[in-house]
Amino acid sequence: MHTQDFPQLASIEAIEQGFESFGYICSPKIATAVFLAFQLRKPILVEGPPGVGKTELAKTTAMLLDVPLIRLQCYEGLDEAKALYEWKYGKQLLYTQVLKEKLGDLLQGAQGLAESVERLHQFGDTFYSEEFLEPRPLLKAMQQERGAILLIDEVDKSDYEFESLLLEILSDYQVSIPEIGTVQARVTPMVFLTSNNTRDISDALKRRCLHLYIPFPSVELEERIVLSRVPDIDRQLRHQLVEFVHSLRDLDLKKSPAISETIDWARSLLLLHARELDAQVIQSTLNVLLKFEDDINTAESALRELLPRPAHG
Amino acid sequence: MAEHALSSAMQSHLVNFIGLLRSHDVRISPAETLDAMNVAATLGYAQRDRLRDGLAAALAKTPAEEAIFQHCFGRFFDQQLADFSSTREERANQAGEQEAASGPEATSVPKGAADHSAEQLLETAAQTDSDLQALLTTPLLQQLQDNDSAALNLAMGEAAASVGLSQIRMFTQKGQFTRRMLDAMGEDQLRRTLARLEQEDSPALEPLRRYRDILREQVRDYVERQYLLQAEGENARFMDELLRRTRLSNLELRYQHRVQELVQRMARKLAERHARKRRTYRRGKLDMGRTLRRGIANDGILFHTHWKRTRKNKPQLLAICDVSGSVAAYAKFLLLFLYSLQDVLPKVRSFAFSSHLGEVSELFAQHPVDKAIELVNWRYGGATDYGKSLQDFARLALDDINSSTTVIMLGDARNNHGDPQLDIMRSIYQRSRRVIWLNPESRRAWGTGDSEMPRYLSACHFAAECNNLTQLERIVDQLLKMNR
Repeated sequence: MHTQDFPQLASIEAIEQGFESFGYICSPKIATAVFLAFQLRKPILVEGPPGVGKTELAKTTAMLLDVPLIRLQCYEGLDEAKALYEWKYGKQLLYTQVLKEKLGDLLQGAQGLAESVERLHQFGDTFYSEEFLEPRPLLKAMQQERGAILLIDEVDKSDYEFESLLLEILSDYQVSIPEIGTVQARVTPMVFLTSNNTRDISDALKRRCLHLYIPFPSVELEERIVLSRVPDIDRQLRHQLVEFVHSLRDLDLKKSPAISETIDWARSLLLLHARELDAQVIQSTLNVLLKFEDDINTAESALRELLPRPAHG
Repeated sequence: MAEHALSSAMQSHLVNFIGLLRSHDVRISPAETLDAMNVAATLGYAQRDRLRDGLAAALAKTPAEEAIFQHCFGRFFDQQLADFSSTREERANQAGEQEAASGPEATSVPKGAADHSAEQLLETAAQTDSDLQALLTTPLLQQLQDNDSAALNLAMGEAAASVGLSQIRMFTQKGQFTRRMLDAMGEDQLRRTLARLEQEDSPALEPLRRYRDILREQVRDYVERQYLLQAEGENARFMDELLRRTRLSNLELRYQHRVQELVQRMARKLAERHARKRRTYRRGKLDMGRTLRRGIANDGILFHTHWKRTRKNKPQLLAICDVSGSVAAYAKFLLLFLYSLQDVLPKVRSFAFSSHLGEVSELFAQHPVDKAIELVNWRYGGATDYGKSLQDFARLALDDINSSTTVIMLGDARNNHGDPQLDIMRSIYQRSRRVIWLNPESRRAWGTGDSEMPRYLSACHFAAECNNLTQLERIVDQLLKMNR
């Protein structure tokens, strides 16, 4: 992918503005990382707590560039047959049947075994060829004409073996298929890997990537995010709810509320026509923010201290 | 990209910065160094925040490393912009205030006036003094007089390189390096002249002294910053290195927290290297090649399907730790290591014994490390009885030992002349994949006194002396490698 084809990524400012036009408000750090990934043709490994917009970053980049987003969700047991390529067994079987019928014609008049074998060799070997290859996400990303965004989601959930499979793709943008050879990417795709840190990613993989850690956003940034997603909400209330979510994140919770939950909450408050945060409103909508019963109990017992002070006091 | 082509000076700067990060325990490979160069070339040096974000993306690979990066970046690149004009101005202000105190007419003296008069004083004095004249024309004094911070910084940089300031490691070296830096910058001439002027009680003495003080302060600050940059990480590493090599029994109490951290880091490293998850498929994927080949016999009809299988292989680790009085000093660390190992490896069962034996896996799983070790010592501490303990072990775990089990024994094999129960050890040896004995005593002491080590040796696949952390790490690393 070259700069002249994608002026959207020509500078860091352009990226920030472009993202914003798609409703993705990002810090300069994120824009810098995307810019570098594009310029240096390196994958980005995005880490951070769940729900800070790691996957969203890849989606937005795809929208910004107007190229296909090819997504590979990782899970335990993911192997090359599901990630890279698979042979079309059914068609291969049919092919052998067809071949058997044609065999008589082909070998007609052949003298002895030696000549038959020679004729067989002259016959093209298509059993293992691209025609019978079923591309899976990784291979598909290499075959796109205009380039693509390849999102390898939650790479920490995959096995170690799968990580080593990725190494070749991430450093050389090529795939080795033993029966055929190496397949080089037509246009280098932009690769995003995301990780929730459930286990450590191997050094070899990390070394090939730029590293981007997205923490929970600052109050100011999160307010801007809420503004872009829920534009109708009152300014005062927006500030209050973001402040409240931030104080929740300081508690010992099983799962801290993420940005997506802040947005959901803002939407719910809007639907309920809430004008100010008070104990009752919070208690009735806390289940939008927190997903564990224990967390809700913890938050409720701490509610008194967390409640925003009245604006005039 | 060409517009930001890196000058070689900036390149070496970046390399120095990476060296600094490495000294703070951030692992950076040559490939990443190249990445960092590319990043700097792409982004340019003009905007510092941008450069910081970009370099962080290329160099720091975990949030912890990023925190170190931010810390070092601030320190390292701030230094490049160090400037003494502020000091200078403050001084001028102070001088102004002093004059203000001495007489009311001085209050109207503008800021630069103090400098101005100083220069005049010096010049008049120099007219009658050839030495002073010569001194004033040296580049050093020129820089000081012109308040040329860039040039002075450059001169300090050169002096630092010539005296090898980047080698500074100990705070005791600070004075020495300051002195050498000053000498390298030609301060001795200034010093000599000052000494002479003092005797003559010349009017030029006061302004010259001020220049000397400014210079000294600048150099001292420079050395201090370098020390903080270079030595901080190095010292910590030096300490770690030392602790790793010290015999466990000699480690002082006050270093225990550090050791604890070291041990945990070690265990994590080992586990990362070895804890590859084995996956078990009930039925693997279809092996087309084999299926076709089998079909040949049936005239190409694929009668039998062939499935690729993954072999099951679940290594299991049983660790037995002696916590009796004779190995008390080691036991703490071995338990600590066991605790950490169990924390990071999935299938470790831990046992502790002295007069009798019990499984402590549960204890380790339930309690924080300090508490767990205390509980283990309290429950199982006492006089050693290997025979009884082996019996207990056989009762608890012998049935679970199979060809994929590794048994690690941590102890000195000093049995107080009791029955060693060698036959139990033998049956463990026969059933298991591997028995490893780690003995804190040196090999020469094996078999002396009440040590049963030579006899137990016959029931071990591998026995080694292990009394410091480096040995421990190396042995366990090997062991886990074999265990694959």
